[in-house]
Formats: sequence, C-alpha cells, structure tokens
Amino acid sequence: MIRVPWRSAAAASTGLILVAATAACSGGHTAGAGGGSASGAGRAGAAAYTLSASTPAPKGPIDSFTWALYAEPTTLDYAQAFDYPQNMILSNICESLMRWNPDLTESPGLASSVEQPDPTTYVYTLRSGVKFHDGGTMTADDVVFSLKRQMDPATGSTWISTFDNVDSVTKTGPSQVTVKLKKPDSQFGEAMANSAGTVVHASAVRAAGQNYGTGGTLGCTGPYTLGTWVKGTSIELDKFPGYWGKPALAGKVVFRFITDPTALTNALLTGAADGGYLITPDSYARLKSSGVGNLYFGKSLTTVNLNVCNLSGTLGDVRVRKALLLALDRSGFVKTGLKGVGTVTSSVAPADAWPAGTVPPAADLPPTAQDLAQAKALIQQAGATGKTVTIATSPIGPDVWLLATAFQSAGTQIGLKVQLKTIAPDAFTALFSDPKAREGLDAFPETYYLSTTDPLAIYHIFRTGDFENYAGWSDPAYDKLVDQAEAEYDPVKRAAISAQIQKIAVDQLPWIPAAEWPNSLFLDKRVTGAPTSIAYLYYPWAADVGSAG
Amino acid sequence: MSEVWRFAARRAAELAVTLLAASFLIFSAVYLAPGRPETFLLGGRSATPDALAAIRAHYHLDDPFPVQYWRWLTQMAHGDFGTSIQYRAPVLGLITARLPGTLMLIGMAAVLVVVLGVGSGWLSARRPGGPADSGMLVATSVAVGTPSFVAAIVLIWVFSVRLGWFPSIGSGSGFFDMAYHLALPALALSLYWIGTLARVTRAAMLAELSKDHVAVARSRGIPERTVLRRHVLRNAAPGIATMSGLTITGLVVSTVLVESAFGLGGLGAFLDTSVSVKDFPVVQAISLLIVTVFVAVNLVVDLIYPLLDPRVRLGARNSA
Repeated sequence: MIRVPWRSAAAASTGLILVAATAACSGGHTAGAGGGSASGAGRAGAAAYTLSASTPAPKGPIDSFTWALYAEPTTLDYAQAFDYPQNMILSNICESLMRWNPDLTESPGLASSVEQPDPTTYVYTLRSGVKFHDGGTMTADDVVFSLKRQMDPATGSTWISTFDNVDSVTKTGPSQVTVKLKKPDSQFGEAMANSAGTVVHASAVRAAGQNYGTGGTLGCTGPYTLGTWVKGTSIELDKFPGYWGKPALAGKVVFRFITDPTALTNALLTGAADGGYLITPDSYARLKSSGVGNLYFGKSLTTVNLNVCNLSGTLGDVRVRKALLLALDRSGFVKTGLKGVGTVTSSVAPADAWPAGTVPPAADLPPTAQDLAQAKALIQQAGATGKTVTIATSPIGPDVWLLATAFQSAGTQIGLKVQLKTIAPDAFTALFSDPKAREGLDAFPETYYLSTTDPLAIYHIFRTGDFENYAGWSDPAYDKLVDQAEAEYDPVKRAAISAQIQKIAVDQLPWIPAAEWPNSLFLDKRVTGAPTSIAYLYYPWAADVGSAG
Repeated sequence: MSEVWRFAARRAAELAVTLLAASFLIFSAVYLAPGRPETFLLGGRSATPDALAAIRAHYHLDDPFPVQYWRWLTQMAHGDFGTSIQYRAPVLGLITARLPGTLMLIGMAAVLVVVLGVGSGWLSARRPGGPADSGMLVATSVAVGTPSFVAAIVLIWVFSVRLGWFPSIGSGSGFFDMAYHLALPALALSLYWIGTLARVTRAAMLAELSKDHVAVARSRGIPERTVLRRHVLRNAAPGIATMSGLTITGLVVSTVLVESAFGLGGLGAFLDTSVSVKDFPVVQAISLLIVTVFVAVNLVVDLIYPLLDPRVRLGARNSA
C-alpha cells in the first residue's frame, strides 16, 4: 500500500498539522523480467503528461545535493523497511542479493548469479570483494544471517511473508548460499531484489542489538554510508569509498524531512531542496510553471482502488460491486484527484507489472467509461436500491478523499445510500492492520504499489486466508490458479496464468479499481540523473544523481 | 529572608504536585484517545496477527493502565524518560536534539512580542484617538485576527518564494544563521500576541491616565514624559507583566503550527506527530516540559511583582 504524503490545506485549520498517513503495502514479491509496455489501460486522451524513462544524464560529479522527504523514517532497520521514507533512503545504503533496475527489470546484485537446480532450490553465488561500511568483506555467513533474521518472528520483520515457503537457508560453499523451499515459489526469488533480500554484516547487527537501525552504522554494502542523523530534521548520507560497484557521483546526500506539503513545495521552489519524489498533485502546476526545475513522471506500479473490506453487507452482492464500477466517473477522478496525471483502469494490477508482451488484451477488461443505465439495472436486479454502503474517507490525500467522494456520487446516482465516514489520517493507517478499525465499514480507498514487477504481487491478496484479504473473499478456483502461477518459474507462462487470475478478479471485483497513478519526481536545474520510476525504493538511485551543468 | 525561603519551598512543592497531576492527566488522555500505537508502528502496512501481538508484547501495550503509568512514573523517578515508541530511541536525546531551535524560536518571538507589543501600546496611549493610536488599532485588529499558520503561509510566500530574502525551511546552525532562519517563523508566531499585548498595554495605561493622581501631577507642571513613566507605566506594569507571562506560555503552544509550516522539526512538530501516533513517553516528556515552563514563567512574574509594585508582598499576587 501506499503512504499518501499529503494533507489538505484545510486540515491545518483544525489546529493540528496532520501528518501524512501511510498505507505501505506488503506482500509484493517478485520482479518479473521486462518492464511492461505502457499500453494496458487505455491511454486515450491522456495527453496531459508524458512518462519519462529517465532524466538527462549528469555532466559530472557534485559535492552534495539535498532531497526533500515528507516524513522521517522511524528506523532504518532493513527488516522494518516497508514504507517510502525508509526505502527511499535505505536503497542507497543497503543492497540485496538481486537488484531492481530503473526499468523495473531485475538483475544480479550482491549475488553474481543465481541457479535453480530444481524447482525447490535457489543457489546464490556471491559477488567477491564486496566491502561492508564498517569494515570486513561479505561472506556467505552474513547472507545466511541476514535472511534468517527476517524469518525470525522475534525480529518482527515486515517482510516475513516472503519467507513463508522457505524451508532452510544454508551456507553451501565459501561464497555460496542455498535456499531450500517447501514448494516451488517464483515470488521468493523475485523478492530477493527488494528489502527482503538485503545483506548486512552480522557482527554490526549483533553489536547494535536493540538499537540497530536507529543510527550509527547499518553494516551494509551500498554506495553510501549512513552519516549524521539529526532526529526530526535531516539524515545525511556520505559516499562510501570502498563501494564494489559504480561509485556515486555526489559526495553527500542530505535528506530533509518536511511534513507540511506546502512547506515541501516551497523548499523545492526556493532551492532549499534540489529535488524530491512523491510530489503532491496540488503542486504539479506550480512546480511545472516555476522555471526552477523539471517535473518528471515515471512508472510506478501503483493503482488507486476501493478496497471492499466487508462482504456481509450491501457490497456482498457482486452485482452491486459491478454497478459501482460502472457508475464511477473514473476520468473525472483522474482529472480532479490526480490533477490529470494518471490513467483510468479496470484492473487492480498496473499494466507495467506484466512482462513485455504479456499484458492481457483490453478485451479482457470491462470498459472504463461510465454506464449509469446498466449500473442502475444491476442495482435493481440485486434489489439493493436504497441500501446503505459505508465508505471511509480521510484528509490524507486527494487519492483518498476524492476517490471516496467519487464513489459516493456514483452510488447515489444509481440508488444506493452511500455514507462517508471520515477518519483522521493517523487512524486511517490503522485500517490496514487493525480489524477493529474496519468495523462498520464496507470499503475504503486504497492506493497500492507493488514492490516487484509481477501482477501476482497484488493478486495474491485475494487468495483465501491471505492476511491482506480483509473481507475474507474466497474462491477455490482462484486459489488454485494463484498457487499454479506462484509455482511457475517461466515469466511468460506465469503471466498467462495471471491473465486468467485477472479475469476472475475483474469479474468478481474483490477490490474496485479506478486509476493508475504514475510516480512523480522534481529536480531543480542543479542536479539530474535520478531514475523516474518507483525502483528508487530498492535501487541505489542517489548514486546516479550528479551535476546538471 | 526566611520569607523568601518559605516562598521558594512552597512553590517547589506546588510545581511537583502540578507535574504529577499533569502527568497523570496527560497519560490518561493519550491512553484513552482512539487508535493503537502498534498500528502506527506498522506505518499502515498489513501485518499478521502474530506480528501485531509481538509488537504489543514488546512495548507492554497489553498491560493495564495503572501498571503502564506506574512503570513510566518509576522510570521518571530514576531520571529515565523512557524510550520513544516511534524511534526506538531514548526520549531525552530526541528532545534535546530538537530543543535549541524551539527555544531560539520562542525566545525571538518573546522579544518581538514584549518590545513591539508594549512599545506600540505605549505609543497609542500617549495620544488616544491620534493618528498613531488609530493606526495601531487597525494593525492590532489584523494581527489578532490572523491565525499563526496563515501568517506563516503569507510570510513564506512573500519573503521566501517571491523575494527570496529569507530561507523557506529549516532552522539553520550557529547563532546568527539560526536567527536568520527563524526570523519569519518568529514573526508568524508572535503576530497575534503582539496585537494582544499592545491592546492590554494601551488599556492599562489609559486606565491609569484617567486617575486623579495623574491629573494632579499634570496640574503641578510635571513634564508629560515623567508623568507617563512614573505615574502611569509604573502602575500599569503589573498588569502588563502578567499578560507578558501569559503570552510567553501561549507562544509555546503555538509553536506546533508554525514549526510545521516552516519545516523546523522542533519540539512543537515533534509533540504533534507523537500525539498522533500515541508515542506515550514522548508526549509525556514534552507536555511536562511545557507545564514546567508555564510554572516557571508564573514564578518569574511573581518575583517581578514586588519590584514593580512595592505594595505587593512576595507571592501575594492579585490576579490582574
């Protein structure tokens, strides 16, 4: 899920600055080969913006640059790193066995190669001569320690579900680690490119004990080391001279935490910060016309949806869910909620998540145009006219409150009674983990990003018993397909099964999709080179940023 | 001098009781507020029930309220302010890191308020109804009617974004750099209080001016300046001092909004985020710090009183 780093200006008048609430999401494992082509959901008429594959190449190194970030990470422990602020910083300090690239493909990282002698075995051969920030060289023991630490319930890892099918992790040679699985799992291998596959220096973690991740060394291998952390203000990263890969262009990176979205935009406009990801849509126009720098958009693997969390109420009838999808003014939502930067969609899986050439045809998906007549007919068939649907809303960001409003308007027009229940931003985040918080709700807006390039990274949610399957939606045929897909190692064959999974999902609508939402990036005229895609969560993007002239 | 010691001892005891009562009230309030800390720790991620239970156990969140409060209190008695739930780090360090910027901000705002507030009130009262007075009334109306976060937005837009004279975010490092960084925030923070104090000063002085002893003084040909200083300001001073004290405590509370608007990451913004995620130890520590400031400022006003008005005995202040 996604954290929405913006609050409304109106919220300020309540007398408390509301801190952005998040909904970072779990579960996404895998990175299929190939970045999907940006076809998928019809891009017709979406000329308001263009997606950039990259930003112009830097002219050379730079002493330092400053990056604006809407919240301070609470910890930089790789096992707890599952949110924009943590990952945006940590991706430059810590590295994983595999690497997620800016084009959303995957390639070797700290492992120089990976073999699969049989469907339940991954053998990782480690890169040699990789130095840790705190001294010492990476060994197979460090890799075993790092992965096992994620699997230990006492660690409280947010990535623990990645390891559900792991039977054992063992050192099988001086620079070789073997992972044995209980059953074939394509998703595990792909997840080794995100924080789940991080390798740290065992002795550094042991030495830090309870304080690991709160400062000092992180015992990682990336192009930057963790420098000064001024709690509440900034985190500095310093270039690591002993880095095994391409050396970083900037000697220092300063992350500044600016919780107020207007203040963050002002920081970019005045040069107090050189750039930032996740720009609030309300500032797109201002930054674009400022002449101070460039606003870019890139692949995000992010969709904006309505999460149906209660199937024993009005939304329990699939006809009502279908009617809501038909009645929703999706293009109106993109225009107002995302300021025109987004595309309407009928699937919860982003088009870019599919391997090249495997995106299911548009004919597989219901049309994205509003059809009130058909929607009304469905509501009448279901005998749901006048029935109540309760949707949560929150002044967290336009993707939440405007989507809730759009659904309210859709439901009202077709004869449903839609009640919006307003929840404080901080309480909104509790919807994702606390069943009590979801009591009395039928649905809530949920913006969801994938941590790997694979549609299964979102479709696993609807499997029976998945801990993100809040409504307890269940379909044995669906479960069987998901199991089949996860066990399939060939990305193209897997995508074919995922296409069948998607057909059931769009037919049954356990979530109701609305739009795809690209990643946003602002760079002033001093710096360039940052990737435009969501890969920044796990790829050492800051090392690519250098002087623009 | 025994009177002074008795007074000091009484005030110390009062402070201790106040802090204890406040700590209990704040702890209860945070405890009863909706939301659960462990869900904030997850940052909105889903989590397995086991993972949630592990977090609850780690932070003793399942203990009954009295047990939690007592744990916190006994820790405090040993000088341990506890560990922040959000940051998993000692609260004391987190607070001291943020303290300088906030103190400087409040200090600068307090100077602005006292100098500009008392000054413009004094100017007004000299010629009621004159051009200075009329101008002051308009200016103070605007100042009192402008919420600090609105002032912050306007000031940033004009002086940082459009003119580029001042930085838009951050609190700087080193005394002069900090003063430069905090100039706009201090102005935004103090605007309302300048207006309020100016009006209080004016009213207090006009009340004194209409008294008989002033008319007598004037009729005896004493220069106006001397009349104002010795007969008017001196008698109005206790009321102005009380108001100044209230103002400074008010500034502390207003920092929350201003710090967020200017991205200062000080104590105010920290209190705000900590309340919203129910970070008990941090909320307790910062709140008690604020209560201490309140009590301390009150004490200073009490000590100044006898100096301003010899008729008043130590600690026997009438509410002005």
